[in-house]
Amino acid sequence: MKSEKMLEKLKDILSAERTKQLEKYQSLKKVLKALRVEKRRYEEKLLNETDEEARHELASRLKVISKQRDKGLKVLKELKEERKQSGK
Amino acid sequence: MLRKTFLPAIFILLAYGFAVSEEFKTITAGVAIFLFGMLALEEGFKTFTAGGLEKILRASTNRLWKSMSFGVLTTAIMQSSSLVSVITITFLSAGLLDLASGIGIIFGANLGTTTGAWLVAGFGLKVNLSAYAMPMLVFGIVLIFQQAKSLKGAGYVLAGLGFLFLGIHYMKEGFDSVGQTIDLARYTMTGYPGVLVFAGIGIAATVIMQSSHATLVLILAALASQQISYENALAVAIGSNVGTTITAIIGSLGSSTDGKRLAAAHLIFNLVTGLLAIAGIYQLIAAVSWISSHLGIASNNYTLQLAVFHTLFNLLGIVVMLPLMKRLVMFLKKIIIEEEVQIERPIYLSGGPTDIREAAVEAVRKESIRLYDLAAGVIMDGLSINRDVLESEEKVKRVVKKSTNIVDEDIDDLYERKLKALYGAIVEYIVHSRGGYAEGRLKEELNTIRQAGQHVIEAVKGVKHLRKNLNRTLSSDNQFAIKEYNRLRRLIITVLRDIDADRKTASDSSSTLSLDHLKLQIERKTKEFGKGLDDLIRKERIDVQTATSLMNDITYCRETCWDLVEAGTVLFSASDLEETVAMRALALSEEEITEMLEHGTEEAAR
Repeated sequence: MKSEKMLEKLKDILSAERTKQLEKYQSLKKVLKALRVEKRRYEEKLLNETDEEARHELASRLKVISKQRDKGLKVLKELKEERKQSGK
Repeated sequence: MLRKTFLPAIFILLAYGFAVSEEFKTITAGVAIFLFGMLALEEGFKTFTAGGLEKILRASTNRLWKSMSFGVLTTAIMQSSSLVSVITITFLSAGLLDLASGIGIIFGANLGTTTGAWLVAGFGLKVNLSAYAMPMLVFGIVLIFQQAKSLKGAGYVLAGLGFLFLGIHYMKEGFDSVGQTIDLARYTMTGYPGVLVFAGIGIAATVIMQSSHATLVLILAALASQQISYENALAVAIGSNVGTTITAIIGSLGSSTDGKRLAAAHLIFNLVTGLLAIAGIYQLIAAVSWISSHLGIASNNYTLQLAVFHTLFNLLGIVVMLPLMKRLVMFLKKIIIEEEVQIERPIYLSGGPTDIREAAVEAVRKESIRLYDLAAGVIMDGLSINRDVLESEEKVKRVVKKSTNIVDEDIDDLYERKLKALYGAIVEYIVHSRGGYAEGRLKEELNTIRQAGQHVIEAVKGVKHLRKNLNRTLSSDNQFAIKEYNRLRRLIITVLRDIDADRKTASDSSSTLSLDHLKLQIERKTKEFGKGLDDLIRKERIDVQTATSLMNDITYCRETCWDLVEAGTVLFSASDLEETVAMRALALSEEEITEMLEHGTEEAAR
């Protein structure tokens, strides 16, 4: 397992295309992580909010974040596949 | 202070004059009626300026002799060189004439205006003008009440002439009475000091009355009743010729550079002519008596001799100035420089395209953010909301409700001079700097920022469209329509504020994505706006025309909001380039937002 990981890293360093893919992958992961944090923040806010209008807005924001995350996770999966393909 | 006290002082002086002298009352009333006639005449000619007069002007001024003849003829017909010069200035400002043609007209107008002296000298003081004035006034006023523009215009011309004649009549009456009681001849001065003083009086009288004709009539009346000497009367005529340029100078104040140049040409011509006439006044007097004897004018008929003098010295001016015409044009172009249009210039791109690619992208981004900020201000003006509202924390609903006054800013001008000029500079920079780039992220980024700039421009264009009906509605008393337009204003301001708030907290890598929430809000709100319209028409709270305008404006509002969000998403991302690209890939498209909205509606229906 350890040697497999090391081999993957070596491939990343040697191939320009793989480097690019990796950068893209990591950036996307970072954005998705930030979205997850934001989602949690809004969920907490929603729990404590009593005003109906504000609750409605928070719920709507959460919906948008969920949709963005779904989209992001789909792209992340595709990138993972691409990396696997180019690694063969 | 001086301005504040000037009018009351004049009123007090006039009132005092009215109290102590009956003649003063008659003369000043005559002047007032005469000037009112001028106003009516000008109003009448204005009706024809947009139509036939414009075509005639174009065809008859393409050569110097033509433009001069045109000046002579039109002034002879209109009996006002001031009016001709003011109209010429307006045509010059509209770009229908060049400066040389304009000057030709002015030269001609100076000759044409002398026909007035002949008319007044020939008829004005011998016939009872009021006999002509009355029918003219009656016919004129009847025509003014007609619907057709041309008839109305003709009415103003006729009534104007009627008032002119009536004014002349009263001035003459007044001076006749003065002549019987005071012997002004005792105060006349002889030699050059007298000429200079009376020339000054001529300038002052014409500047005050804004009519050389009025001064001429005054002086002829005074001359006929032997109030002043012949020599001094000629000096007043010279002065009035210089003073008459005041109308053109006032008329040129708000005109283009060429309009100002023309007014300056008018002043120079009349000053030179006046100085020549003063310098050679005794030679001119000799020439006048020689011509008069050949024309059969009696040696004691000073009024007709004054008309001869007026024509002669203006002719002299033309003979002297005509060969200097080209030099005059060059001189005027040199001293009155075309004002450069104040356009918005870039700050961050001022160094020109840079070789450092990342620096170039950053410069373009910063300049585009400046463009966005300028546009936000113009949008606020367009919505008639104070710009400070963007920074304040006051509730949008309250702010909009109390913003009932239309902000008087020329949005089209701001759009052209500031936004379009700056966006043009950004595009130019991108085009030039991009040549050095290979295919890659930076090139893509530059293109994306360029598109964001386009979104900013489109947003302002949307508000420009919306503003027309918004202003009309704000000026109306239809509270229902105002309420609907306020909803549109509220949405745009909310979007602008949210983008601003997002921009201030743009530190984490998901911040720009939060603008997607605005997209959902825009779609939901604009759908709601549309739904309520049918109900408003049914209940006759707004008419169909207003509803149609509102439908169009809801679309403009929606597009403006979308454009702002799209621009904000690109311009205010704080993270590095790779993250920005990843973030934009996750931003929801219009279709995804619509899908979400429909899904939401279905859920709510369940």
